[in-house]
Amino acid sequence: MPRISVLPSAVADQIAAGEVVERPASVVKELVENALDAGATSIDIAVDDGGRARIRVSDDGSGMDREDAVLALSRHATSKIRKASDLVGIGSFGFRGEALPAICSVSRMDVETAPADGAGTRVEAAAGTVASVSDAARRRGTTITVSSLFYNAPARLKFMRGARSEWRAIVDTLTLVALARRDVRITVTHDGAPALTLPPASSWRARVAALWGAAAAEKLVDVDDVAGPIRVEGLVESPQDVGTGTRRIFLAVNGRAIRDPGLVRAAEAAYRSTIPAGLRPTLLLSLTLPGSDVDVNVHPAKAEVRFRDRWPVERAVEGAVRRALGTMDAAATIGVRSWWSERGDDLPAPVPLGVESLRDTGRAEPGPLFAEAVGVAELEAVADPRPPAPDPPPLEIPPLTQWRRTYICFEHEQGMVLIDQHSAHERVLFERFMGVLERGESPAQRLLFPLTLHLGPAESEAFDANRELLERLGFEIEGFGGHTLIVRAVPMPHPRFDPERCLRDTLDALTGDRLASGAARHEKLAATVACKAAIKAGEALSLDEMRALFAALAGTTLPAHDVHGRATIVRIGWDELERRFGRR
Amino acid sequence: MRFTITREKLQEGLAAVAASIPAKTTLPVLANILVETTEKGIRLSGTDLDIAVSTEISADVETGGAITIPAKKLSEIARELPPAPVRVASSGEQRVTLDCGRAHFRLLGLPRDEFPSFPSIKFSESWRVRSGELQKLISHTAFAVSTEESRPILNGVLWELRPDMMRMVATNGHRLAKMQVPIKSSGMPSADLIVPPKALEQIRRLFPADEELEIARGENHLGFRSPFTAVYTRLIEGPYPNYEQVIPKDNDKVAIADKAALTSALKRMSVIASDQTHRIRMSFNAGMAKFSVQTPDLGDAQDELAVRFTGDPLDIGFNASYLLEILRFIPTDEVRMTFRAPERAATLEPEQWSDPAQYLCLVMPLRLVD
Ligand SMILES: Nc1ncnc2c1ncn2[C@@H]1O[C@H](COP(=O)(O)OP(=O)(O)OP(=O)(O)O)[C@@H](O)[C@H]1O
Ligand SMILES: [Mg+2]
Repeated sequence: MPRISVLPSAVADQIAAGEVVERPASVVKELVENALDAGATSIDIAVDDGGRARIRVSDDGSGMDREDAVLALSRHATSKIRKASDLVGIGSFGFRGEALPAICSVSRMDVETAPADGAGTRVEAAAGTVASVSDAARRRGTTITVSSLFYNAPARLKFMRGARSEWRAIVDTLTLVALARRDVRITVTHDGAPALTLPPASSWRARVAALWGAAAAEKLVDVDDVAGPIRVEGLVESPQDVGTGTRRIFLAVNGRAIRDPGLVRAAEAAYRSTIPAGLRPTLLLSLTLPGSDVDVNVHPAKAEVRFRDRWPVERAVEGAVRRALGTMDAAATIGVRSWWSERGDDLPAPVPLGVESLRDTGRAEPGPLFAEAVGVAELEAVADPRPPAPDPPPLEIPPLTQWRRTYICFEHEQGMVLIDQHSAHERVLFERFMGVLERGESPAQRLLFPLTLHLGPAESEAFDANRELLERLGFEIEGFGGHTLIVRAVPMPHPRFDPERCLRDTLDALTGDRLASGAARHEKLAATVACKAAIKAGEALSLDEMRALFAALAGTTLPAHDVHGRATIVRIGWDELERRFGRR
Repeated sequence: MRFTITREKLQEGLAAVAASIPAKTTLPVLANILVETTEKGIRLSGTDLDIAVSTEISADVETGGAITIPAKKLSEIARELPPAPVRVASSGEQRVTLDCGRAHFRLLGLPRDEFPSFPSIKFSESWRVRSGELQKLISHTAFAVSTEESRPILNGVLWELRPDMMRMVATNGHRLAKMQVPIKSSGMPSADLIVPPKALEQIRRLFPADEELEIARGENHLGFRSPFTAVYTRLIEGPYPNYEQVIPKDNDKVAIADKAALTSALKRMSVIASDQTHRIRMSFNAGMAKFSVQTPDLGDAQDELAVRFTGDPLDIGFNASYLLEILRFIPTDEVRMTFRAPERAATLEPEQWSDPAQYLCLVMPLRLVD
């Protein structure tokens, strides 16, 4: 029973016509997609001379009976849809029934196919005309060979590039397919030499490692998130690696590789404040959403889709990537991931019990002299009967130690973990300052003895330009003629804060800076002040301070990275240690 | 060196000196206690180079001499000794034996020459102060010192000695505590000393309240001495900021409140106050103080307290922990607070204190956000 039927012309007209066959890579794409539509689990691709001489795609899919095999070469013959409404929510790559006829019309095509092992059909065609139909015994599946592409279309022939460049385009095309369908085994040979061997992969990471090597895979962070009906999965580059290698972009919607600058922008927005402006991350993302929410038929090569409602999709992408960066494997070790997934939303969560600022208990010789003073200990004791928050669950803080007066270290199930105290604190303060700049004024502690600062001309200019924002952050400053400032009140982000030095360093860092836009200026200022205000490497921290920092870091939206994109958390796995000790 | 001492005397002497031994040091001899014989007994000394403590205890000296002994081990041994006289003898520069009952210890010490010499201070010219007065000043002011390294001067307590009174002032730039007591003139010149609080804590701990102390100054050091015990400390170089200038003279709003009730109200508000700034708002109106606190992501709280208030109504923000801290040291049941404006310093003082001492604390407000 033939499965292919010629579409009524009304349907045919509804389907966007277009240049299906542009170059060898488009032939590869169409043939491979047909193989996937046929349910192939293994596809072998052989290319000669960059595809200019020959392209052969063999699959172990459903195959075709003889009638279908012949019909497949005629225009708008498809087994995949019958009427226009089938297009809504289409799950297959093909639906127009125009790829094979289009390819066939500009090449010599040889189709060998069998719906079951044994008796099959061979159809030979050239320039769109079937030349012969014969028996061919073969295994279930289809092998289509396209040779002498554009041999009868001299205008197109002229536009083909050299073999290298066509080959590169084919590799790009196949990369997209390989990422979209990780379950399928794919092999590729070029001029007889094996170029890619991709076994079926259980994870994105495994497929990426097979494509680009294990090192490339290690630079990527898992994304896996659900927002309403939208699921976002994949891998994105961890911020500290952005800019260190080739940038790659892969986007798929319902398994179909697409281009979509809007989604790329949304994913990039999630990197805000973790990487320097201008650097662009590798993004490999696959979205799954109800078929009725996407229209795939807007582009001749099906490279674009239209979303019924684009906004929630972009938001889902941004949120998923942001959470992935925030909850990188490393961050998971400070308990962030489980906490977030339990909350199931992306609101900056109120920090659970046990979170205080960096406090100074235990640092000033806490002898009996100070025992009488109302210590933080007492305030904490008072603070304890806070109504037990139903959610989020209290953050468990493991025993912490400080190494090199720089790293806060602790043991985790999977290894030992180090937090860079400066980077971590910088992240905490950055988010706090951004909140202050965007939402309102920060508390300012008035000073008994106002600070006097003498500035150079450049610093004065930086001060004038940022005066209002500095004020919002809690610096109350009077210009005192010339380049002298009187500071009457200062923010107190933590007890060791040195406002004078912070202000000086900040103004110094802001000199010559011309940032017009509000948000960018906020970010720059918050980042600068955070960097200058954060505790430094080399400062001994008390246990309470370490615990407070740990908790505050866990409460940030992007705990794993500081504002420069450097890692705040590094983990050394037990397996690594065991390897070094020769235990395995 | 050979002497015999009671177990109790040895323990007492070690306890006095032990606190001056640094827990960690790069100079090994600082982990040791210097033991020297004197005419009446022995002298034990320890130092961390900032502070030095030395105390004399009675003992029967057979042969004079000196040696340094690991402080921690010596204290641990002294604690475990049976109730019997302790015989200590050194052989050579580094070896020391200790016998008590049938217990016998041999320890490896370090030669006395390695022990740093104490600052040379001439007690011929000295102030004389009753230890109890000094303790009172220390315990009411030293809490307010800064622990930040950015302004080292504020890490010390200012001690002003005048012919007829002495005064201590400490501040971290946000709040300040000041106390003065009258003294009998000693005929000594006035002096302004900036003393590390760690040393003051030793003073407070080591000398009984009724003892009269001799206090004398070396080049960068200060010495405190009673007949048996001496403490030396490094001084912090001045000048101390002009605190007189920031003490408000024109605060025209006065609130008098019950200290205990105010303390509990503040503690209640602190539960909700932000962890960084402990910011609370206080609104004073005739007869009433209203407290409120609002912390994003957490919640808010309000409370009220009857107070005696005179002056125009006022809204002012504070770090609650600064207020609570000061209230702990206010010696009376009622506290007197004065204000001028939401951005000006507030004062806290004891109300109706029948004591020759004068005590005043200042707190700078926090900016309120509406
Ligand atoms: N490898 C294959 N295995 C089995 N059937 C195939 C194979 N390739 C093509 N076919 C059949 O031939 C038909 C025509 O293929 P063609 O690529 O021209 O159209 P399509 O895939 O339906 O739509 P589109 O033009 O959008 O690709 C398909 O509908 C399918 O039934
Ligand atoms: Mg097709």
